[in-house]
Amino acid sequence: MGIFDRMLWLIAARSLLQHRLRTSLLMAAIGGVTALLVMLTGAYVGIKTTLLVSATTLMSGHVNVAGFYKATASSSAPVVTNYKKVRALVEKEVPQVDYIVQRGRGWAKLVSESATQQAGLGGIDITHEPGFRKVVQVKEGSIDGLTQPNGILIFEAQAKRLSVKVGDTLTIVAPTFRGTNNTLDVTVVAIAADIGMLSSWNTFMNDQGLRQLYQLNDETTGALQIYLKDIEQVKLVQEQLRTVLAREGFGMLDPDPRPFFAKFDGVNRENWTGQRLDVTNWEDETNFVQWIVTALTVLATIVIFALVAIIAVGIMNVMWISIRERTREIGTLRAVGMQRGTVLSMFLAEGSLLGLIGTIVGGIGGVLGSIAVSKAGITLPPSWQFVFFSDHLVITPTLTWVGFSVGFITVAIAGISLIPSFLAARLKPITAMSHVG
Amino acid sequence: MSNGIVTIQDVEKEYSLGATVVKALRGVSLTVEKGEFISIAGPSGSGKTTLLNLIGCVDTATRGDVVVAGKNTAQLSERQLTDLRLNTIGFIFQSFNLVSVLSVYQNVEFPLLLQDKLSSGERKKRVESLLEQVGLNTHMKHRPNELSGGQRQRVAIARALVTDPLIVLADEPTANLDSQTGQAILDLMKSLNQQKGTTFIFSTHDHKVMRYANAVVRLADGKILGRESPELAVAHAVGMDAPAAPVQAAS
Ligand SMILES: Nc1ncnc2c1ncn2[C@@H]1O[C@H](COP(=O)(O)OP(=O)(O)OP(=O)(O)O)[C@@H](O)[C@H]1O
Ligand SMILES: [Mg+2]
Repeated sequence: MGIFDRMLWLIAARSLLQHRLRTSLLMAAIGGVTALLVMLTGAYVGIKTTLLVSATTLMSGHVNVAGFYKATASSSAPVVTNYKKVRALVEKEVPQVDYIVQRGRGWAKLVSESATQQAGLGGIDITHEPGFRKVVQVKEGSIDGLTQPNGILIFEAQAKRLSVKVGDTLTIVAPTFRGTNNTLDVTVVAIAADIGMLSSWNTFMNDQGLRQLYQLNDETTGALQIYLKDIEQVKLVQEQLRTVLAREGFGMLDPDPRPFFAKFDGVNRENWTGQRLDVTNWEDETNFVQWIVTALTVLATIVIFALVAIIAVGIMNVMWISIRERTREIGTLRAVGMQRGTVLSMFLAEGSLLGLIGTIVGGIGGVLGSIAVSKAGITLPPSWQFVFFSDHLVITPTLTWVGFSVGFITVAIAGISLIPSFLAARLKPITAMSHVG
Repeated sequence: MSNGIVTIQDVEKEYSLGATVVKALRGVSLTVEKGEFISIAGPSGSGKTTLLNLIGCVDTATRGDVVVAGKNTAQLSERQLTDLRLNTIGFIFQSFNLVSVLSVYQNVEFPLLLQDKLSSGERKKRVESLLEQVGLNTHMKHRPNELSGGQRQRVAIARALVTDPLIVLADEPTANLDSQTGQAILDLMKSLNQQKGTTFIFSTHDHKVMRYANAVVRLADGKILGRESPELAVAHAVGMDAPAAPVQAAS
């Protein structure tokens, strides 16, 4: 008689039915943990997705062609000169491309009447930015204001810090690589909802305005942000681009998985001048926030294991009671001629049944809960927004993680039920049969 | 050693209860030949159940040899012992020991499923005919807790007989039955004994039951007083609570 025998499952199912209250409590506990696990993993996926979407809109393409221009060996500017030529090349050589945008890059001091703040400047051509409008939610003013050469878009927290409103003027003070400061007056045309951590040090201004600030020509930009039809192709496209660009005679930086603003020191120490290109991906450009994802992963894992451990102890206890109550029955079955292994199979069947029903119900509950939470649009407190890269909680349950939760907990429950049944099956039949209690 | 189907040689069984040691069997030797219908008699606490448990391979002797169907049980692995219990021995326990979540039919079918030798059609025929013989064919779908003590005992009997074992051990098989049903069960056992040569070893207090046996082994205080004819045993048993008359030593 093996684990697939009908009779074993029948005994298992009936034993569960015989103790309805205990079984329902156990199932509720198992279901609860599963639901929680589904929602935790869903939140994790949601955060990663949100991070991906907002990061790849605000500060990076899936893949970027950026680089540095050095007038002297020790002074660099984060620009791509002749970007139109590079862009034409990319369009011709990389069929995986969905679309490309060009962004100017800068780092400057924003000065209002009452305060100052350091911020990144993205030079943006809003008429050619299909993704930007979807991610950036304007609270005040209009995104179209960015078509004005001196328009700037800032985020709510920045507006508060600088105490400015739409229509107010900010002065940008930007150090140049020549060692002087350039200044430019800009008008706040839009104030957008914060996008967690990523929006706290980013602002966006008209790309022509940015060129004017740094005295750059029309052929120059900060980076070409390349969006792919399939994000899985990032690594492949990166390799492809490096090869193509090198072949076409562009000077290339060595691969370095860090955001561009972390590279100045290294680049300035190198002994070359002129233009070099750098091919990066979205993870490189956001690696300074990836630690949050890592921390969340670690935290979620700890929470999950703690939960499973707690529930495991509880289940083990109940299993102990259940099996102690049935020691006489185990003795009888052994006396009649059931092998020890078959006793284990029987309890394995019982544990699996309990686990499977509990986790499936819990899995469905978790998915429904996730949908409800996401639909409810719960606004996160500011410190949480920072970590979640979003102003509201998004939980995205995926089939993989639901499957993992159901499978993992079922296996854990079945495994746990084996321990006490193993001990009971080890008893001499007569000892088990004359067991009291 | 004799070639009996059950041979017991100088067997002692001790139970330890904390610090004290209870000697349940104190040097028991017994040979049961194939096809015997033998009764073990003795007062309560004399060691009848203990002896049957050793023969039934559900317990092990502290000292001495227990040889069942040619196999010295002390030398068998747990797996082999389990196989022996399943295929060679049918045990009717004093407290029935049915599986509470299974129906009457399923309880009886269970050993056949463990054996996995018969087709489901053959199984059905076997189980139904046995349940008819013990008079429970109308209660096949009942659970044990929906049965009377006597009915449960009859389920236990059917379960022990269903595999057609070489040896059937029965611990007070008729204790909970009215005399009519008890007699019917004994007739069933006797006919199996005569037709198939099944060996029966059963313990009892009941004189009427002893009379069915072809020999009675009398136990007292963990020792065999003797092996005698049912008539003699009944005569002895009548005065059982009085100081026992001197008896011949065991063969
Ligand atoms: N598990 C045990 N632990 C300790 N002592 C035991 C155990 N089982 C039996 N005994 C003791 O062994 C002796 C023999 O018991 P056993 O059950 O074999 O008697 P019995 O002849 O079957 O009695 P009854 O007619 O009442 O069923 C008794 O003194 C009993 O107390
Ligand atoms: Mg007894």
